[in-house]
Amino acid sequence: MSDNAIIRVENLHKWFGLLHVLKGVSFSVVPKEVLVIIGRSGSGKSTLLRCLNFLEEPSSGTIDIAGQSLTITAGTRYDHNQAIAMRLNTGMVFQDFNLFPHMTALDNVIEGLVTVKKMPKDKAIPMGMKYLQKVGLEEKSFEHPIRLSGGQKQRVAIARALAMEPKVMLFDEPTSALDPELIGEVLDVMKQLAFEGTTMIIVTHEMGFACDVADRILFVDRGIIAESGTPDQLFDHPQDERTRLFLEPIRKVQQI
Amino acid sequence: MAVETMKFPGQPGSDPDLDMCHALLAQQRRERLIRTTKIGVVWVILIIILTILLLQFNFSPAYVYQHYGFVLAGLPLTIGISLASILAATVLALLGAVSKLSNNSIAQGIAGLYVSLVRGTPLLVQIFIIYNGLPQIGTALIAKGMPQIGHLFILTAIQSGILALSLNYGAYMTEIFRAGIQSISGGQREAAESIGMNRVQILRRVILPQAVRVIIPDIANQFIAMQKDSALVSFMGIWEMTYRANRFARQDSKFMEMFVIAALLYWLLTIVSSWFEGLLEKRMRHAYER
Repeated sequence: MSDNAIIRVENLHKWFGLLHVLKGVSFSVVPKEVLVIIGRSGSGKSTLLRCLNFLEEPSSGTIDIAGQSLTITAGTRYDHNQAIAMRLNTGMVFQDFNLFPHMTALDNVIEGLVTVKKMPKDKAIPMGMKYLQKVGLEEKSFEHPIRLSGGQKQRVAIARALAMEPKVMLFDEPTSALDPELIGEVLDVMKQLAFEGTTMIIVTHEMGFACDVADRILFVDRGIIAESGTPDQLFDHPQDERTRLFLEPIRKVQQI
Repeated sequence: MAVETMKFPGQPGSDPDLDMCHALLAQQRRERLIRTTKIGVVWVILIIILTILLLQFNFSPAYVYQHYGFVLAGLPLTIGISLASILAATVLALLGAVSKLSNNSIAQGIAGLYVSLVRGTPLLVQIFIIYNGLPQIGTALIAKGMPQIGHLFILTAIQSGILALSLNYGAYMTEIFRAGIQSISGGQREAAESIGMNRVQILRRVILPQAVRVIIPDIANQFIAMQKDSALVSFMGIWEMTYRANRFARQDSKFMEMFVIAALLYWLLTIVSSWFEGLLEKRMRHAYER
């Protein structure tokens, strides 16, 4: 792997009680790369993503993001403040949007700027509007989430994460909770971000989108990376039997 | 709720479908009005029956008329004690709930013992301990040459009343706050964490604003209950409504008259409070209406 990696994960393990969800995962991401993680439900791909910003506490392993490194040894306490500081390097987009319902779209976007970065409101508002514009929702800035469609909510959530100007954007199945006709608008925003050179790690079941946008795909199976490569390599010439079994039915559907 | 507030475009007669909708809504409104009216009539009939019954047993309306002002004069004190206590209780409950949900063993221990102890003892006993019991410690401390600290334990009746009500309701409301905080989905906390907020920021900016909206009916309910429990402070000789009613009731043996006055005033206070609560809930609903 190249030396200028912005994210480097080494031998990451995660246990949930007696369940060994991640069994030593290592990979790295270079700036401007779009990495897509695919795999069956329960394979550990979401857990992997959530470990990167410490929403799940890794059980052991090393995570290195933008020059800040944290090594966790199983059974010992680690520096939580360091983990929280590293969190600001990543922006997270959730499956269920998780917008703050008591705030308008604009207030959602500027909440981190005002509360965490202590930016004065008169500076944060133009910045918030800039990011709402980026996702095409500047005219909804004063609406509360309940008056937005699912696709609009997810776009606001993307703007909220972007506003913190993270080095890497993490997407945890961003379209899985959306009605089919609303998926396109969210994927379009993500394609635009990829085009602009945003570093992204995306967990998704949208294989067509993965093929379009990914520089590299990781196929995760039962807590390990079974195979990784470019979309062409994985979809057309899978080396691993498990990858082939997973992708074959999907390819058949797409050929129809 | 939403149906009857909807506005439809167009004049009646311009569109048959719209007319059908108008007719259905009018029918709903009519039925609701009839039901409300019937319930109101039942209330009025019941109150008339109770009044007639009361008047059969040597009940003197003239005495009520003469003395209601004396009981009414205690209303500000009842309201004042309840308001001060509900405010203090809310602060205690917030601290209690946050402590119970924290990772800090000391905070958890203190909050747990507080809730258990206070919920496990009667309010009246707590009032006696604070008003009559604490001065024993106070005088002992003064005797040992610590007058400043000692005097802190000797409270006036009103101070004792407010302290007892606050402590008591704070314990019950701790559980209300705890449940309210826990009712906010984990996703909200995760989203706040993902943009780098710390625990205090998450509580103050994300969790509490949502939790408070959920528990406003419960807090209002506690406030309404407290207004009546404030009658217990009359045991310490505070001139609130119950004490005032009791005074003439004993002197003239007019128990029914005086306590009916007090009861009606408490009831009125509850009705007004419920109305205020309705207003508050309406205001907080704004962000959640499509």
